[in-house]
Amino acid sequence: MNTFLHISPVTASILVTLLPLFACLAQALIGKKSISGNIALVAIIASTGISLFGVFLPIWNETTTLQKWAWFTIGEYTLEVGILLNNLTALMQLLVCIISLPVHIYSRAYMKSDEGIHRYWMYLSLFCFAMLGLTVSLNLLQLYIFWELVGFASYLLIGFWFTKETAVQANKKAFLVNRIGDIGFLIGIALVYAHCGTLDLSVLFNQTGTQIAIDKNATWVTFAGLAFFLGAMAKSAQFPLHVWLPDAMEGPTSVSSLIHAATMVAAGIFLLCTVFPLFNDTVLLVVCIIGTLTALSAAIFALGQHDIKKILAFSTISQLGFMMVGVGIGAWDAAMFHLTTHAFFKCLLFLCAGAVIHEMTHLKAKAKLDIDPQDLRHLGGLRHFMPKTFICMVVASLSLAGFPFTSGYLSKDSIVITAYEWANHLRGVYVLIPILLTIVSLLTAFYIGRLIFKTFFGDFKYRSYIDEGIIFHEAPSLMLVPMFFLAAGSLFPLFGISLTDYHSAWIMLTLDAGTNYPILAQAHLFIPILLTGGAILSWFMGWRWYVKQKYPLSENNRFVHFAYKQGYLNEFNEHIFVRGTTGLSRILYTFDRYVVDGFTKFFSWLVRQLSVVAYWFDKHIVDGIVNLLAGTMYYIGHLVRHVQNGQLQTYLGFALTIVVLGLLYLIIK
Amino acid sequence: MGVLSILIFLPLVATLLILVLPLSAKATFKYIALGFTFLQFGLSLYLYGNFDASLGGIHQLEAYQYVEQLAWIRMDLGAIGKLEIDYLVGVDGISLPLIVLSTLVMLMGVGASWNTEKSPKGYFALLMVLNTAVMGIFSALDFFLFYVFYEVMLLPLYFLIGIWGGERREYAAIKFFIYTLLGSVLMLLVIVGLYFSVINPTTGAHTFNMLHMMNPANYVDGSFFAYIANYHEVFGIPARLIGFIVLFFAFAIKVPIVPLHTWLPDAHVEAPTPVSIILAGILLKIGGYGIIRVCYSIFPDIAAATNWWLALIGVVSILYGALNALAQKDLKRMIAYSSVSHMGFVLLGIASLTAEGISGAMFQMISHGFLSAALFFLVGVLYDRVHDRYIYNFRGLASLTPKYTAYVAIAFFASLGLPGFSAFIGEAFVIIGAFNAESMATGVPRWMAIGGSLGILLSAVYLLWTLQRMFFGQVRLKGGLAWQEALTDLNTREQLILFPALALALLLGIMPSLIFGNLNASVLQLIDLINPYL
Repeated sequence: MNTFLHISPVTASILVTLLPLFACLAQALIGKKSISGNIALVAIIASTGISLFGVFLPIWNETTTLQKWAWFTIGEYTLEVGILLNNLTALMQLLVCIISLPVHIYSRAYMKSDEGIHRYWMYLSLFCFAMLGLTVSLNLLQLYIFWELVGFASYLLIGFWFTKETAVQANKKAFLVNRIGDIGFLIGIALVYAHCGTLDLSVLFNQTGTQIAIDKNATWVTFAGLAFFLGAMAKSAQFPLHVWLPDAMEGPTSVSSLIHAATMVAAGIFLLCTVFPLFNDTVLLVVCIIGTLTALSAAIFALGQHDIKKILAFSTISQLGFMMVGVGIGAWDAAMFHLTTHAFFKCLLFLCAGAVIHEMTHLKAKAKLDIDPQDLRHLGGLRHFMPKTFICMVVASLSLAGFPFTSGYLSKDSIVITAYEWANHLRGVYVLIPILLTIVSLLTAFYIGRLIFKTFFGDFKYRSYIDEGIIFHEAPSLMLVPMFFLAAGSLFPLFGISLTDYHSAWIMLTLDAGTNYPILAQAHLFIPILLTGGAILSWFMGWRWYVKQKYPLSENNRFVHFAYKQGYLNEFNEHIFVRGTTGLSRILYTFDRYVVDGFTKFFSWLVRQLSVVAYWFDKHIVDGIVNLLAGTMYYIGHLVRHVQNGQLQTYLGFALTIVVLGLLYLIIK
Repeated sequence: MGVLSILIFLPLVATLLILVLPLSAKATFKYIALGFTFLQFGLSLYLYGNFDASLGGIHQLEAYQYVEQLAWIRMDLGAIGKLEIDYLVGVDGISLPLIVLSTLVMLMGVGASWNTEKSPKGYFALLMVLNTAVMGIFSALDFFLFYVFYEVMLLPLYFLIGIWGGERREYAAIKFFIYTLLGSVLMLLVIVGLYFSVINPTTGAHTFNMLHMMNPANYVDGSFFAYIANYHEVFGIPARLIGFIVLFFAFAIKVPIVPLHTWLPDAHVEAPTPVSIILAGILLKIGGYGIIRVCYSIFPDIAAATNWWLALIGVVSILYGALNALAQKDLKRMIAYSSVSHMGFVLLGIASLTAEGISGAMFQMISHGFLSAALFFLVGVLYDRVHDRYIYNFRGLASLTPKYTAYVAIAFFASLGLPGFSAFIGEAFVIIGAFNAESMATGVPRWMAIGGSLGILLSAVYLLWTLQRMFFGQVRLKGGLAWQEALTDLNTREQLILFPALALALLLGIMPSLIFGNLNASVLQLIDLINPYL
């Protein structure tokens, strides 16, 4: 299949990327009339087909292909953009297509009759374009461009219902937190450019043979690695930058499933895999620690949530933490494997949740209830009404929990076991990381069990309404078909024939990061048993707690509350960063008004005062002297004037006086 | 008469035409202004299209294009020598993009003045005088000529703000005028000093020719601004440094840098929309242009020595401007402060003394030119309808005016540096250039680049926050139903003005080579000029 329709993989890949863009533009031009979503759907179907046959099959396990074009020249550096096709990028592009397609189909039913549906399809196509472009970018700056566009599309989609206050708060938060990461990414790019003189991934990381020697011990490499990781932390929702993801659930559920579970949030992992050769041990250790912390904290937070989508959001964060650890221990192939399997089952979990929410919203509207349709406390016993959804969700949950026969079992084990091997190789406190991961795996099984039990088991509070004749039924087939498809993808056969050996999964075989920690044979045996056994135990516990109503904890338990409030991190950010920044800005504005502008005003006041003084000086001193002179003259004249009064005796008296004075003068002299 | 002169003096013809026409023909004034600016825009595009991108310019007259040189003032001053002032105009890769930008922004400005009721004769006549002055500034290569245009520019602006402005227009106009005059008066001293220090090598007379001033060989030994053997000091500061600082001060007021920026928010808030557009779109660029053309080219040695401080000023402007924008409750004042922040990138880029940084700074100037014009226009649209622009008085505008909201959102995202739009290219390369400065040993440390990149984050903060507060959520207006009726969506004229600006932002974001192509040779030439002194 090297020549699909006689086009090269590169051309095919460009087509895959551009088709959704054209769809987006077409829908933008048609405007309010494009409500069917056919354009977007056709584009994504075509993209998926081309991606599978035209790109993935010819590239997978074959040589790297790339093509570049000069974009522009700045100074003496010519920036080249292009398409880089290797195992990693081809897999990622295909994955995005394959997840997008069912979500598009699902959206047709889920978003039907929404007022802003025309915007929905436009934004969704824009997202697909950006995400597909991101996967095959050759140049780091090009990658960055798509990276931000993805964030922009996510902003639009989170705030899709823009009259909802929480939604517009959430999309702002998402964009701003992602911007923090973007700055990290940009700094990383600037550092690489300053030291290597190029941003071309193929030149940087030896895809074509001409490699630039990077001294991994140099300080800048550590900083660059950390900067890229900061970018990945924001996009892939790593602690403490994960805060945007739970809020992002304000968007439509179909959007959450595609963007905030399966694809966009995985972009950070993908970035780290792409620039992996740049990382030195320090950076990798930081990645490991942050990843573990994220996995643990998110799992704990997930335990305390009542919102069905928030549980899934925290589960996503937790799983992304697993992938981060995978990258951190050098097994980026395992990370990519988990990314792939996670995309299927997490997307499915959201779609199932969406189906439930969809029905609950209908019920709410019909029965005129004032409830939050996403709140677990209002759900229960739904397996009787939505059996197919129930089955799909159970499959996805098993996969998330890493139960045998599912894909999640293979990929999660690959990370946990490699982490044990890694820690065993390094010794010391490193062993904490795999131990924590094991604990997180058990917590994962518990919280997803809780979700299933509370949603599908027990009694349904509002059964009486259904008995009264309000229809509450299974999701329509337009929603079910994509769910079945994803459910099939959540099982092991898609990834390899072996039930237990993740090494033989085709993704692992081909990507092969070349981790050479000594293999611990017993780990391959004991860890899966431990994880599976623990999961079953936790479900048993969950069953007793939530279905049999033997809940041991009180409502006001401090730990439950801590988990529910997400560790008070949002409150902390609000108080420290948000208020800090706005406070600082107010102080600076006051400073600007009264000090900086005050100085200007003072200066003008000074000049005016100076002019007053100058005027006073002019009036009283300069003119004063003139007036004094004139006045003196006048006074003298005034004195002499009396002589000229026309009386003879005065004249004579005056003459006599003068004569006497003259005589006196002569005598004295 | 060359094509560049036609470009410069075309608006003056319009002024004369407007002045001689009787008041009864006042409806035609705007058409005259529009026609002439449109012609000018076409002409500048023609110049841009026929520009030879391989020629650098900067300090070589033969590398300038569309050059015209006429002897203007020749006077025998006896013992001092012969006074030699030329009418010398020409463009290189630095000035031409700014000329095209100016003609475009002028066109937007005229479009925005369409509903001017108050004495249109004076208004359009002054607008056209301003137009001539701006074109002259960007093309003049003789310092005296440059100064003349520079001063001519102030006069129409003073009246445009002072007569057609808002409530406190007199205060704003005089503040603006005095501030700018303060800079230019000091500049005159340096011009005279330079005149007496430089000799035209062909005639042996002192000269105002800027290009002669850029050649160290033309300086008289021992003269006030001489390169070598210069013992002149003012208050213990070397003469050349003081010359640089004074010129920088003059242009920095225009940019404006912190702390010389306080005239800007007042001028913007009080100025009518078209004048705001021209102020932000063109006038601020004169500051950046002056720094490159005058400060850096005539004093490359000082430029190399002081760039640490300039970069610091740039970073401070970026962060200070952005944080101040965050605190604003008046939409127009917020955008005015965002201009301070965005122009800080220009200074940081120029000071980085790397090809990426300077090109990025130039690109940022162009991009900010029409984006800020679009932003001020958008504020004007709101103000026209309800005579209010207090951010908290509006909420949920997206439901009322979807088209307007879409334009605002695009303009905001373009300004905050979303890739695909021009501002991204400018800001990203300023940051990359500033980072690269350490590798190139130009003396700008990396923490400044990181500080600058925080400005990118902050610009997203204030713009998105404004978007959320004014446009999203449920409709709630201070003026109630009356406002709801008054707030009609954009009309055709308004869209006709906005669409090209935003389309251009997108076009340049996708094809930056449209600018870089003509810019590169000049930027490299400038760096070559400064490099020996690093």
